[in-house]
Amino acid sequence: MEGDITVTQANRKCSAVTGSTRKIKDNAADWHNLMVRWEKLNEDGFNVAGNLVNIRLTRSQSDQLVVVDESSSPSSAPSQQTGGAAELQDECCKLQDVIDRMVVVVKKMERLTASQQGFQDLEEFQFGLEGRKCPLFHSWNTKHFNESSCVLLDSFSQELKLKQTILQELAHTATSDLCMVYLSCWLHQPFITAQTRLTLEALLLETGHHPL
Amino acid sequence: MSLRLLSVDPSDRGSQRCRLGPGLMSALGLGLGSPLLVSVPGGSCLCTAWPRPDLAEGFLQMDLKCSSPGVVSHPPTHLNLDPDQLTPVPCPKLKGVKITVVVQGVDFKKLTPPGLVHELVKDMLKGVHVHEKHVINLENFDTEIRYVVIESINPDSASAGFITSKTCVEIVGIQTLRHYRSQLQHQQIVPLGGLEEVSASLREMLQLPLLYPGALRSLGVSCPRGVLLVGPPGVGKTLLVRRVVGEVGASLVVVRGPEVVGSRPGESEEKLRAVFERARSAAEEGPCVLFLDELDSLCPRRSGSSAPENRLVAQLLTLMDGMKRSDSFLIVGATNRPDSLDPALRRPGRFDREVIIGAPTLRQRTAILSVLCARMPVCPSVDMAELAQRTTGYVGADLSALCREAAMHAIRGSSKGSGEQTVGVKHFHEALKAVRPSCLRSSLGRTELSPTSWEQIGGLDEVKLKLRQSIEWPMLYPEAFVRLGLCRPRGVLLYGPPGCAKTTLVKAAASTSHCAFLSVGGADLYSPYVGDSEKALAQLFRQARACAPCILFLDEIDSLIGSRSNSQTPNSVQTRLLSVLLNEMDGVGLKTLERRGTEKILQAEVAEENRTQEQSDYQEVCNNNVMVVAATNRPDCLDSALLRPGRLDHIIYVPPPDQQARLCILKMCTKSMPVGADVCLEELAAKTELYSGADLENLCKEAALLALQEENMAASTIRHTYFLRSLGTMSPSLTAQQIQAYQKHPR
Amino acid sequence: MSKPALMSLHQALRKSFQTLEGNQKVWKSVLADCSPLMGSLGNLAEQSRALSNVQISNTPLRDFPDLEERLRFKLSQATDTVLGKLNEKTSSLQSVRDSISNQVSAVFQLYEQNTDSLDLLAVTERSATAPSVSDMLEWLQDAERHYRQQFLRRKTLLLTLRADDLSLLESAPKRWKSLECPGAEDHITDTLCKVSFFTESQ
Repeated sequence: MEGDITVTQANRKCSAVTGSTRKIKDNAADWHNLMVRWEKLNEDGFNVAGNLVNIRLTRSQSDQLVVVDESSSPSSAPSQQTGGAAELQDECCKLQDVIDRMVVVVKKMERLTASQQGFQDLEEFQFGLEGRKCPLFHSWNTKHFNESSCVLLDSFSQELKLKQTILQELAHTATSDLCMVYLSCWLHQPFITAQTRLTLEALLLETGHHPL
Repeated sequence: MSLRLLSVDPSDRGSQRCRLGPGLMSALGLGLGSPLLVSVPGGSCLCTAWPRPDLAEGFLQMDLKCSSPGVVSHPPTHLNLDPDQLTPVPCPKLKGVKITVVVQGVDFKKLTPPGLVHELVKDMLKGVHVHEKHVINLENFDTEIRYVVIESINPDSASAGFITSKTCVEIVGIQTLRHYRSQLQHQQIVPLGGLEEVSASLREMLQLPLLYPGALRSLGVSCPRGVLLVGPPGVGKTLLVRRVVGEVGASLVVVRGPEVVGSRPGESEEKLRAVFERARSAAEEGPCVLFLDELDSLCPRRSGSSAPENRLVAQLLTLMDGMKRSDSFLIVGATNRPDSLDPALRRPGRFDREVIIGAPTLRQRTAILSVLCARMPVCPSVDMAELAQRTTGYVGADLSALCREAAMHAIRGSSKGSGEQTVGVKHFHEALKAVRPSCLRSSLGRTELSPTSWEQIGGLDEVKLKLRQSIEWPMLYPEAFVRLGLCRPRGVLLYGPPGCAKTTLVKAAASTSHCAFLSVGGADLYSPYVGDSEKALAQLFRQARACAPCILFLDEIDSLIGSRSNSQTPNSVQTRLLSVLLNEMDGVGLKTLERRGTEKILQAEVAEENRTQEQSDYQEVCNNNVMVVAATNRPDCLDSALLRPGRLDHIIYVPPPDQQARLCILKMCTKSMPVGADVCLEELAAKTELYSGADLENLCKEAALLALQEENMAASTIRHTYFLRSLGTMSPSLTAQQIQAYQKHPR
Repeated sequence: MSKPALMSLHQALRKSFQTLEGNQKVWKSVLADCSPLMGSLGNLAEQSRALSNVQISNTPLRDFPDLEERLRFKLSQATDTVLGKLNEKTSSLQSVRDSISNQVSAVFQLYEQNTDSLDLLAVTERSATAPSVSDMLEWLQDAERHYRQQFLRRKTLLLTLRADDLSLLESAPKRWKSLECPGAEDHITDTLCKVSFFTESQ
């Protein structure tokens, strides 16, 4: 779903798409784009993490002279300790790279939330504590937007923290159960809940990116 | 033309097809897939007719998808069927059908929602031809649903019908396979003889909570939940439980002690818990009995150390206490060593009732024998009562072994060509020699008794008469004793000089009265361990009582048991043995464990019953004790307490043979010898004053040896001179002084 | 021997075999769609198992609030989704089964209506071009039984899965695979080959 802004029936009600309205709408679109990017990164990261776990487990298995499951780690055929370690290092770097990019995404999200806070402050300055009388779009006031942004940012920063922890531990974990838990944490993203997605959807609906 | 029944083709399995030749199909008026009822021994089977792929006639292959319960448990094989065992049946489309579903496991039954079972069963039954009361085999669907029993069909005008997708399927019950199988099995119940009273009491305990749960609840009583069956091995404890369970229609969970015990720590407890869980889930489907066989091995008396058994006992106790009132299953324990059980098990609330099954009495033996022989072609001349009399001390298992042995003898006899097919008296007598009562096995007093008759003992007529009075008469004519208010003697002491046939006399008495015979000498009882001898003697009495009427023969009693007055050490083994003996002979009563049958009280009204019945009654009541027969040649060494009335009350002097008796003995001894015509036994008898019976026997032997020595192995007769010469070299073993001492003795 | 009855029966049989052929293809494709779903079902069960085996408070993940709960919820949500998809597949299987069943029972009905004019000799007669009516009816019945049995087994497997019984879920893919019965499936293909000449003869 693209974040292009088109003037639709829904948001024509507001006299002009300028100022805060315009900015908030753009922010909503950015939220959407950032989340799409996050999903892409998550997928990439999962593949890397999967490889990492395979190499790790294969190593600890071959330490115990257990038959190596070749198919699970196609490139580890030489299965030399050093080779395995190098490979491990390689994958770790890849994962670090993914996480770095995720950090960038979350940074951007932070900026979005900060600007949202700025709108609220501006509004308070303009209209006093009760806020504006007529809603910017359909029904939400600025505070609503601010809250939604906070919810979204919270989820993603928690998730990022989780992923960073996983990155640090994954290469050092030998028990398959714990590895499995790390992987499923990565895949299922426990802190990005259905609520998170609903919030984004609500944001998009309100701002008119999605028709009501 | 007959049809060979072949096993079903694998590709036809589950199709309900019955393959037959097209000719036969035409003859029966069958089209493709027409329903057909095939009757086989044990039931019938509903199939659809199809021509064989090779169109051959004379063979029949059928899939037993829908068949009667008997056929399910015993599928027919190797049969030749007659074409008129095949009947086409009309199968209208059914409106409704009521079924019971049989599923594999308890889990499935518990966890699967009923709607799901209904949906699956309905799918499975679609397109099946069903017959009332038949069982539909659904095993080939490979699900947990195994069978469906057709309870009734609608419309009920027909006995069979066809299930379509519009047929309404109503499930009246869901059972587990185990429960269903046990129900099928209970239809054949094993017969049981002589345990009516015990089985009645067990049955009552099982049925009461089932039949009147409301009444029990309103009375506020909880039903007894534990029964302990106590009795010697082989009396039928296990069989009894199986039988009663079968009669009531309960399911049975059997635990044999050793099966539960595992090697890993905690394993046994785990297994025991699993068993209780199994019983609990079985109890949900109907009455259930948890049977703990050989309880003593499972729950021995707890010892001080932390042995693994202790934990197991504790687990069992907890489990029994933890049984909720709603757990409607009964625990039955069986043991033959109740004393080695942990006492905590035997209190109310755990094993509430103890049922003691003793060795069977005469009446019970008769009942058991008639049950056992009911299925054997027994010759009518065999008298069960007489056989029962001769099988004192035999328990149920022994009796069944006896019958089997007798049957084996009969088979051997008939295979030799005598052609008789029945089991006769002589076969039973043969078997009696081979099968001995199991309660006497391992007894120390058990002796092989070669039958001896009174006639084999020369002389001593007076002694023989006395012995008959005190041993044989009470055994054979108990009613006369009762009539005259006579008490049977408790014990008999034979004393007299050595070698005067005391032992032989006892043997003869035992073999003529057909009762069990135990004999012990000093060596049997002695043991280096303190208390062992006493225990052995007490055990001996216990065994003797178990197979009463019984003769317990204590040979050389003076060596066995001393006298308290003249022993140097007052606390020697002999004195302790004496006190055991005194106690056993007129102790206060029997141990409860040794009770036999139910107590019967002699009543005056028995007069109108027939004579033999009366006699056996008398025998049963009066003839249940142990007769102690002791022999000694040193009566002066015996403790006086032993000789008072009520203990060894008949004291019989076995005198050295007088001239007349000696003649008889000599005649007996020379019966098998080729004695010369010149031998004058009278003269020998006159010359052998103070010779004992044993001496005389020895004399004959010496004479025969002398003959061989003189005539170089070619001797054919023993001449008088040899007797006289050997008499010259021998001296009598008795002395006049000795005899006088004996004659003086009786006090 | 009544020719028209036989002819119409032959016609119906032809149609049935054609339906059977079509349905066999559908059946195979649906089953092919199912196996990755079953795989992910087993995978999810494995993940749940791992989660149960791990004590989160003893791992570096202990700092995250109610992580275990959240992950478990996510897993069960994913399981639900997969099961929902499998359910859809089951109903396509059911429609295949129903279509075969209906076809076969229709042919049978036609035969039963004409039993009087079709004696046993006629229905067991085989020719070079066509198998006997009896054989063909039998094959159809066999096929119908096979699909019914297969469907029931698979349905029972799915319906008896419970979210709380991990071992049941874990073993599901294996059991699903074991339900495959290539022999019977080949048998149906064989049958279709045997009748191909007959089916195309019109």
